[in-house]
Amino acid sequence: MVDDDPSIVAVITDILSAEGHEVVSAENGQEALAKVNGEALVLLDMRMPVLDGWGFASRFRASGKRSPIIVMTAAENARRWAEEIGADGYLAKPFEIDALIAAVERHATRPH
Amino acid sequence: MTALELVSRLTELIYVLIFLLVVWTAVRRRTRTSVDIALFFGAIAAFIVESRIVTTLGLQQVELVNDVVTILVIAMPYLLLRLVDDFSTVPLIASRLAEAGLIFAAIGFLATTGQPPTPIVVVIVVYFAALALYCAVKFIRAARLSSGVTRRRLESVAAGTLLLGLTIFVAGLSPLLPWAAGLLDGLVQVLALGSAVAYVVGFAPPPILRRAWQEPELRAFLSHAASLPRLPDTASIVRALQDGAGSTLGARATIGLYDREANKLRFQDSHGVLPNEIGPSDYLVWRAFEAQHPRYYPDAARAHPALAESYREHGVRSLLIAPISAAAERLGALEAYTDHEPVFSEDDLDLVRLLADQAAVILESRSLIDEAARVRALEEAARLKEDFISAAAHDLKTPLTTLVAQAQFLERRAVNEPAAPADLTGIRRIVLEARRLSALVVELLDASRLEQGKLVGEREPVDLVELARDVARRESYQGRRITVSADVPVVGSYDPRRIGQVIENLVENAVKYSPDESEVRVAIAERDGQVLIDVTDQGIGIPAGDLPRIFERFHRAANVDDRRFAGMGLGLFICKGIVEQHGGRIWVESRVGAGSTFHVVLPLGAPSETPTPGGPA
Repeated sequence: MVDDDPSIVAVITDILSAEGHEVVSAENGQEALAKVNGEALVLLDMRMPVLDGWGFASRFRASGKRSPIIVMTAAENARRWAEEIGADGYLAKPFEIDALIAAVERHATRPH
Repeated sequence: MTALELVSRLTELIYVLIFLLVVWTAVRRRTRTSVDIALFFGAIAAFIVESRIVTTLGLQQVELVNDVVTILVIAMPYLLLRLVDDFSTVPLIASRLAEAGLIFAAIGFLATTGQPPTPIVVVIVVYFAALALYCAVKFIRAARLSSGVTRRRLESVAAGTLLLGLTIFVAGLSPLLPWAAGLLDGLVQVLALGSAVAYVVGFAPPPILRRAWQEPELRAFLSHAASLPRLPDTASIVRALQDGAGSTLGARATIGLYDREANKLRFQDSHGVLPNEIGPSDYLVWRAFEAQHPRYYPDAARAHPALAESYREHGVRSLLIAPISAAAERLGALEAYTDHEPVFSEDDLDLVRLLADQAAVILESRSLIDEAARVRALEEAARLKEDFISAAAHDLKTPLTTLVAQAQFLERRAVNEPAAPADLTGIRRIVLEARRLSALVVELLDASRLEQGKLVGEREPVDLVELARDVARRESYQGRRITVSADVPVVGSYDPRRIGQVIENLVENAVKYSPDESEVRVAIAERDGQVLIDVTDQGIGIPAGDLPRIFERFHRAANVDDRRFAGMGLGLFICKGIVEQHGGRIWVESRVGAGSTFHVVLPLGAPSETPTPGGPA
């Protein structure tokens, strides 16, 4: 989960952990690139300091990683941004937790 | 007839023709200058005609006629000086000397009979020549100060005068040097012809010459004209048009722009006779504007006697006025004026009309450019508003995301595990995010009120030092050192809540962007009726590239980590607005890694544009 807002990271970590998922968080794209290690799914905020969602996605794909990406953004054009980076889905903030859980369960691949 | 005689006849003919021409002008339009010119050439013509009649008809000179003609000739230098006075200014002492010389010469002539003795002839010749030389110098000086047609006319008149002086000098020499009489006579004829031609050109330039003389200035003005509509403001354009019209006409010019709603002409550089604004009235410029016809007034004082005194006082003598209009649209009026009457002539009406038309084109282009800029500004404002709303929505959704997710998660827990202990961390997260959301809403409302000019409210006497100490007490709860240094209470008239908000915001920023153990200093000082507030930190500083934009809406410096430093980027924008609405200024000095100092300057009293009735509370 890559997001620069610590509260959002905390609450999503709590929610997904309660669902039995393991969550690794990073506060920007650069930190995320350093941490990724075959995760089943990437929840990606778009506007972040240092390295934003677009930068992360292109480098992530360029390095041959195939994990699905779900864009999470408070911007109005969440869908367009998701298409721009070739994401597998998007969640427009604020979202219902059912939508979050459903998206994660639909897109997460088996850990590899 | 010898060649010399031919030249002589030609010269005489020219002088007589000039005389007829200037008499005609003087009869048509009797002004001091036209009378002076007629008198001057009358003296020359009388002399020529009399001697021509005497020599051709072989008549005995009539004593009385001869006396009158001679006195007229003696008066010539004096008349010439009067002409110089018409075109330029002759010091009183010179006029008095010329008058004394005139009287002396006249008495000398009347008192002696027959051929006057040589010393007297020498004195008179020197007097003539010196005065002519003086007049020529004065004309040249007047020409130097002038431009356009006027300049070239004055140069011609100067040349004519110089040649006339030489003619008299050489003619005076000839009886003293009998052996060279033949040569000197020839020289006199040539000089006199040159002088006559120069005078024609100067006093009655043919239209072709006039047009050729106008050309360089007019060309310079027109080639410059295309760039005028792009000048920064209408006032600069008007000034450039005035300068251009003035130099082309060899005079000075003022332009009044027409305000259709007020039905007034507004002048920015009036010559003093005109008020800055004139509505329907019998001012000459209004008359020409109303009639939509160019007008020429050789003597403004005579054309508008009620203002005669004022025209004299402000040195305005002749006027050329043309309406500035584009198609049916009345844009204003151009008034060219000069303190010397003979500068303009009827022929200049065409030129002033041309200049006014050019001004109309330039002013029209300007208003089109302004119109386009207004449309662009409106579009830009609409776009900014949209950007603002979308940025605001984005920032409000961030805490809202946590709130919704956390609340639903708590709800789910409460349903699924009713016995589980309360999730205190989650509840605190909700409280924190709700506060953050409400602070953002306040910030947004402030920014919006600021844009409507409604943020700053009633002013009252406020002690800024006390205000800063309060802020320091509130902000130092985390154990941060915040020192306020000030010698005395500094009391001014401000909205205490908003100025407090500025100090609080600056101190908050200083605390937020500097290490925990470092000090934040607030210094307040009073100087020259102004208050200086400096807030200094030893924090991360602001990159040079961000400094110019730091006070813009939603701008946050590149080195600001949004995660650690939450906020909307509206704080400094609001601070700047509050300070400016108090008539003050805010700016920042900063070095990355060394820290920042925010400077605020506020006037001590209330700004003059918002006077408080009955004085401060």
